[in-house]
Amino acid sequence: MSRKFLSLVTVTFLALALSVTGCGTQPSAPSTPSAPSAPTASGGEIKIGLPLPMTGSEATYGKDMENAIKLAVDEINAKGGVNGKKLTTITGDDACDPQQATAAANKLVSEGVVAIVGGYCSGAVVPTLTIYNEKNLPYIVEAANSSKIATQNPGNTFEINGTAVHQTQKAVELFKKLGATKVALVEQGDAYSSDLANQTEKALKAAGSTVVSHDVTTKGEQDFSSLVTSLKSKNADLVFWTAYYADGALLIKQLRQGGYKGAIVVGDGSSDPKLIQMSGAAGEGIYVLSPPVAEYLPAAKQFADAYKAKYNQAPGAYAPLAYDGINLLADALKRAGGTDGKAVIKALTDTSGFAGLAGKVAFATDKTLKESNFIVLQIKGGKFVLQ
Amino acid sequence: MHVMSLFYIVIQQLVNGLILGSFYSLVALGYSMVYGIIKLLNFAHGDIYMVGAFVGFGALGIFGSILGVGWLGITVALLISMFLVGLLGMLVHRIAYQPLLNKRAPRMSLLITAVGVSFTLFNGVMVMTNGEYKAFSTSLGYEGISLGPVNITYTQIIMVVSTAILMLVLYWFINRTMYGKAMRAIALDQDACRLMGINVTKTISLTFFVGSALAAAAGVMAGVYYGSIHFYMGFIIGLKAFTAAVIGGIGSIPGAMLGGLILGLLETAGTQLPFVGSAWKDVFTFGILILLLVSKPTGILGKSEIERM
Repeated sequence: MSRKFLSLVTVTFLALALSVTGCGTQPSAPSTPSAPSAPTASGGEIKIGLPLPMTGSEATYGKDMENAIKLAVDEINAKGGVNGKKLTTITGDDACDPQQATAAANKLVSEGVVAIVGGYCSGAVVPTLTIYNEKNLPYIVEAANSSKIATQNPGNTFEINGTAVHQTQKAVELFKKLGATKVALVEQGDAYSSDLANQTEKALKAAGSTVVSHDVTTKGEQDFSSLVTSLKSKNADLVFWTAYYADGALLIKQLRQGGYKGAIVVGDGSSDPKLIQMSGAAGEGIYVLSPPVAEYLPAAKQFADAYKAKYNQAPGAYAPLAYDGINLLADALKRAGGTDGKAVIKALTDTSGFAGLAGKVAFATDKTLKESNFIVLQIKGGKFVLQ
Repeated sequence: MHVMSLFYIVIQQLVNGLILGSFYSLVALGYSMVYGIIKLLNFAHGDIYMVGAFVGFGALGIFGSILGVGWLGITVALLISMFLVGLLGMLVHRIAYQPLLNKRAPRMSLLITAVGVSFTLFNGVMVMTNGEYKAFSTSLGYEGISLGPVNITYTQIIMVVSTAILMLVLYWFINRTMYGKAMRAIALDQDACRLMGINVTKTISLTFFVGSALAAAAGVMAGVYYGSIHFYMGFIIGLKAFTAAVIGGIGSIPGAMLGGLILGLLETAGTQLPFVGSAWKDVFTFGILILLLVSKPTGILGKSEIERM
């Protein structure tokens, strides 16, 4: 008897549930693509799209950024949300692939999001910029930093990660602080290290510093002794290595072995704990330019603890920027007083003094960071220490 | 800051070139010996050097805890690596080359087999090491002799002296022992040697052992000297050593030694080139080598097809 009764209840309940969801989705579905502001008005929530790689080779970074964003959203909602409404997020998997990114962007737009936050792979970000711009959706790009994003920006896109230009700025600033007058640049001839070395040379010359040499080494070659002698003979007082850590560690060792006593600075391609391990005792005192990693940011301590508590792992390389990006958007939504795309874009443009984990955010005319967010680390006692 | 005069720069660069050149020479010897005896360009030789570095790394890891990571530990690791990699060279010869030699296969087939061995070795090590760089940690410091601004560390001196010792032993082995005599005889005429009762296959095998052991010694020394090793480290040095062997006259043992030193010295000179800078180093080096080979196609000490080794 009781069993029959139970099953009857279950069936009724299931039927009811089905009919409710069926009714719920049907009328709202056609309205979402046409009017982005409609669901926020009716549901009392603000939908934000997160285009991130959730599958493929870059999936770990995408997942890490999504975690950081969701952590921020929970914090914002716990404090009452934005303009009285709760934030919700929808993740679109771009798989770090231009085609899939376009499909994901169209999906996010049709879901009725009012702003876009995310973007890890530059190749997947660039083709989607106009899709969002057509709907006047502001896009805060958190990690991707190819120069193509700034040059193809249709007006809705804001970059909060530093670019090669920003790294150069930080490098020149550091050289000045160290009192270097005769800088030697060493690169490897690949697009990345060559670009950084050339930009630095230009900036140093513009600032009136002397570049005593600009050398190119062959990737995989182990012997730098003749280069070291050459640099010493030119009396370089600072050596800037712009390529990756493996060969960088060899150069550092051989510079010290050859009796070079000046400063050594390496670019972000060498900002890897393996640099310390491989350069050994010679690595002490080396300066390393690095993107803002949570581990070394004093402001990110609380964030890192919260992240660890929630996800049971340490935040990854781009988690602080992901966290900053969504908070910046919430800040802009408040200042715009609503979710109108044009108003939010204007509010983002006018951002001044927004304090994120990675530092203060303000935008230059090309909507990249006005001031570099690169940080300087120094190897001390076999560890990276923030300068 | 102390200004280095031209004199000191030249001295320091000569020292640099000598050290770089001695690595090239050690590897070039193996190329030259194998070519001398079976006319095979053994393109896997650079990878044998790389395997040598990794075996030495492993041996130092095991014995370093007992013997320390100073010169004693390094010497033991070097000898172990030379022996094991020598055996590897013999194995490669037995598996990949001897069956083709038995069938009197065309030279081109042997060459492609060598390329195959090269890929097998470096991909194998890549998989085993996850493609990571390994730090070769030793307790060697930077102490040394200073002549004005010229620095020569004790490590550098020991590297050059050990290379010289290895080469002298090799010279004695080739010219003063029965095995060496057999190698030279095979280089002259294999069929005649067979008729005279010389075990040709065994002697070729021995040549692979000696050549591979020398490459392994160079690999361990490079690991100790530069401090890090990588599965791909054999590629560039393989090409350079091959070049050195050709400049010296491929097949000639003193030629390989000389070729390595010349290449090392030219490269260091190229780095210090006035006006153009180090980006042109390789263009300078190989430009001179082209001129050299055009004027003497058999290499400096190479004899045209009369006697090798």
